[in-house]
Amino acid sequence: MTLGRGENPTRVKTRLPHLLMGVGILYFLVPLLWVVVAATKSQPDLLDSPALWFAEFNLFENIGQLFREDDGAYGKWLVNTALYSGLSAVGATALAAAAGYGLARFRFPGKRLFETALLGMIMVPATALVLPTYLILSEVELVDTMWAVILPSLLSPFGAYLIRVYVDESVPVELIDSARIDRAGELRIFWQIVVPMMRPAIVTVFLFTLVATWNNYFLPLVMLSDADLYPLTVGLTTWFNTAQQEAGTRMLFNLVVTGSLLAIVPLIVAFVLLQRFWRSGAAAGALK
Amino acid sequence: MLGTTWLAKLRGGLAACGLLAVAACGGAGGDDGPVTVSVWAWYPEFKGVVEAFNATHPDIKVEWTNAGTGADHYAKLKTAITAGKGAPDVAMVEFQQIPTFVILDALADMGEHGANEDEGLYAEWAWEQATDGDKVYAIPVDGGPMALMYRKDLFDQHGIPVPTTWAEYAEAAVKIKAADPNAHIASFGSDGGWLNGLMWQSGCRPYGYSHTTAKDQVKINLTAPECKRVVDLIGDLVDKGLMAKDPFFTADATAALDSGKYWTWAAAGWTPGYLAGSLKNTTGKWAVAPMPQWTAGADEQGDWGGSTFTVTKQAKNPKAATTVARELFGKSEAAWEIGLDKAFLYPLVKDVAADPAFTGKAYEFFNGQKVNEIFVPVSEKLGDFQFTPFQDFVYSELDDRSAEAMTGGRSWDSVLDEAQKNVVTYAEQQGFKVSK
Amino acid sequence: MRSTPITAPEADDPPPLAPVESRARRRSRRVTAHPVAGTLFVLPFFLVVVAFLVVPLGYAFWLSLSSKSLALGTRFSGLDNYVRAFTDPLLLDGLLRVVLFGLVQIPIMLGIALAGALALDAVTTKFAIAFRLIAFMPYAVPAVVGALMWGFLYSRTFGPFADLPTLVGGDPIDFFSVSLLLVSLGNIVTWAWTGYNMIILYSALQGVPREMYEAAVIDGATPVQIALRVKVPAIKQAISLAAIFTVIGTMQFFTEPQIMARFAPQISAGYTPNLYAYNQAFAYSDFHYSAALSFALGFLVFVVAYAFVFVNNRRRGKRA
Repeated sequence: MTLGRGENPTRVKTRLPHLLMGVGILYFLVPLLWVVVAATKSQPDLLDSPALWFAEFNLFENIGQLFREDDGAYGKWLVNTALYSGLSAVGATALAAAAGYGLARFRFPGKRLFETALLGMIMVPATALVLPTYLILSEVELVDTMWAVILPSLLSPFGAYLIRVYVDESVPVELIDSARIDRAGELRIFWQIVVPMMRPAIVTVFLFTLVATWNNYFLPLVMLSDADLYPLTVGLTTWFNTAQQEAGTRMLFNLVVTGSLLAIVPLIVAFVLLQRFWRSGAAAGALK
Repeated sequence: MLGTTWLAKLRGGLAACGLLAVAACGGAGGDDGPVTVSVWAWYPEFKGVVEAFNATHPDIKVEWTNAGTGADHYAKLKTAITAGKGAPDVAMVEFQQIPTFVILDALADMGEHGANEDEGLYAEWAWEQATDGDKVYAIPVDGGPMALMYRKDLFDQHGIPVPTTWAEYAEAAVKIKAADPNAHIASFGSDGGWLNGLMWQSGCRPYGYSHTTAKDQVKINLTAPECKRVVDLIGDLVDKGLMAKDPFFTADATAALDSGKYWTWAAAGWTPGYLAGSLKNTTGKWAVAPMPQWTAGADEQGDWGGSTFTVTKQAKNPKAATTVARELFGKSEAAWEIGLDKAFLYPLVKDVAADPAFTGKAYEFFNGQKVNEIFVPVSEKLGDFQFTPFQDFVYSELDDRSAEAMTGGRSWDSVLDEAQKNVVTYAEQQGFKVSK
Repeated sequence: MRSTPITAPEADDPPPLAPVESRARRRSRRVTAHPVAGTLFVLPFFLVVVAFLVVPLGYAFWLSLSSKSLALGTRFSGLDNYVRAFTDPLLLDGLLRVVLFGLVQIPIMLGIALAGALALDAVTTKFAIAFRLIAFMPYAVPAVVGALMWGFLYSRTFGPFADLPTLVGGDPIDFFSVSLLLVSLGNIVTWAWTGYNMIILYSALQGVPREMYEAAVIDGATPVQIALRVKVPAIKQAISLAAIFTVIGTMQFFTEPQIMARFAPQISAGYTPNLYAYNQAFAYSDFHYSAALSFALGFLVFVVAYAFVFVNNRRRGKRA
């Protein structure tokens, strides 16, 4: 599209962006649409019918079969995933909120070193940590329990960083000082004054850690061997492998697809519903 | 919704077993009640097998976990072995992996608990691979004697003779292409185990290892003529576009098998069940023939796949674990009923394989052909074949180097030369003395 | 893209860090010398860092200082594993591949993200809101699910795209062929992370004061000129930090190639450095060498990221 042929500037102003966004919507949406469409198909239709159009509507049968297969394994995985990511996100957010506030508003020995190290912390490749973490957790008999997934997920250096930046910008030091003059305890100041003020940052960190644990694959794969404890990612991959290697006895591709759809829906809903909060939180990370 | 195991695990993890109480946690149950034996396996329909075992063994309770299929299962097993805890009492291990776990010092010798008595029960080649001298590291379960599945209807329709030698196979490939330009004789599946099976069938014996006799010596000879002729032939077919390139077991490969795109598949004793379950359009059109031979009239055979039960060194009660490994399938009729009819395993228990109920079974998928009449003699004919204690590395060399050849990155002729070189380097780096 | 980090779950692609200097100047006025309370606020987080980052890292480093050979057992070997790593052709191949991949994919992805962010900044219609939400959705799709999904979509049998060229008489596309494999992988990563980066850049754009380009509007600059000459320079810092985190994620490229290997046999054991480290540990049982590989990789990432920050700061310093 060419510009500047004497067109009305406001129309030029919106036509190019809209074109870009239209292409973008297609690009981002088509694969997701495929999942939705494929989840409505029976196993034979999945292999035979056109990829992006509906065949016989089989979604409810798929969902029924999904929750019955392997004695209701999928239901357990769903509950596990919600539990692991919920607990991890709450814990990680609480730790990050306290630490971020502590770093933003206090001075104590070793603080600068610790702040510098935060950036370094996120560069460590996961493969380097999974094995030693496994060895350590196996010493305390926590391997193959939910804690093996939750405890390592409590660590969120970026969360701490984001909160620190946000507090720095949005929580006036004067407010804290006046509360101190009123002889409020530090914990009370944090809980009653600071936390409400940094709600957007807290929602952001919560959502990001929630997604990270919800989507984590490698850590639970290594830590867990009991299928009753699997989260969705590991469970679905197990089914996918089964579908490939034992296709003769169990064709599970339709379940993998339907299960994938149900695994993404809750997160997308959470993001849409909470978008006002996390967008201003993310803005803090981008701007300040 | 959340089972009791789940809660028990949570509680057990937190309360009972603190850092200092590790020793108190490890022990097997008390004096009363059955001994619990944990098993990791990924056989299909395995639940019924476990139930059958528990019903007939009041003193032992098997707790089964599906810890993943193939690589995932091994990754977890190796991690648990490295950690020194967390491994199951009994683990499913495929034949080619046995020496790997032996050298990791992961497997208990079941010979100490009377497993040598089972020697006569299993196909000789399988027993050979599962044992080392009088040490019994594994109890065979299922195998994969190879044979040629082919589209009988298409071969008949176009008057193409079913190949009995590999030379005829190559000729058939040309005729198939002529009959249908979109068709291929088969696909190069990029599967180390499959290539290994074909080399085995060619009389190639590339590896030699015995942990008991010399644990730091290994034989690697991937460049013997019997090995190279396999890769040369297949590579030539791929280069000429007569053989397709889809990896096995992908949806693409399955669809191609079901749509007349591939006319043959040199596969194994477990394949009939696999095909019958996944191909719907071509039921009744397939048939099984013995593998093509390298020398007309010869009877060389190979195996692709198969698995065993092993007892790990972390087993709390190795004796009970040995019983589990030996008797989960073993002579159990109930287990084999499931194994044969639902899981489509090829039985390595000689009596089960020789049973008319097995050999005489007519397969609708193969238009009523009694295909096991072909597989059983193959299994009986299979001779000695050894694996290296680092077979994962060897298979990934075979896969990666042939993938390079498949995509034009190297000549097929150099695939095994390069793999040989890399495997020898790796073996020496791992401290082995390598002979050819 | 990327491995699923166990310590810093969102390490993959966190939103860009803020510029440091302006804050540093202000901080002295704003902090309280209250060491006990401050320490107590940071302590729980610090303990988790120690337990799940410092100790495992230390342990991994200790592991990397000894070697285990299958035949000879374990022995202390000092830095031998590192010498081996930097002369290991498999590692170097993988490293080169990932660098090439990053050099092409990162600019494309950030370019699209920036274009999207500028578009969002220019219009505020319902359509724009829909676009913003849809573009962000892939972020909520687990990498494992995303890779499986694209595996299906690329498939010749039931994917919608492979046969497109046949409509105009061309040959079907093989997304897993050598020439296209990296492109196919790059597309998966781009699909998953563009929206995320776009939101970050869009948030940064929202913070640019309107006065900054009112003058340009009066001067008669076109919207495109304003976007390129005023808005983009204004959020340069956010862009370069997004780039750093993308570089970090790319260097740790793991999940997508690992899943895709089921469809594409030419994804070898050493296709990416992280995949190689994984295979060394979990397939070949060489946890010592694997730890050394991970460390070497982490070190390289560290050097690259800091070099990036350094160059960036110097460039800014010169301008100012």
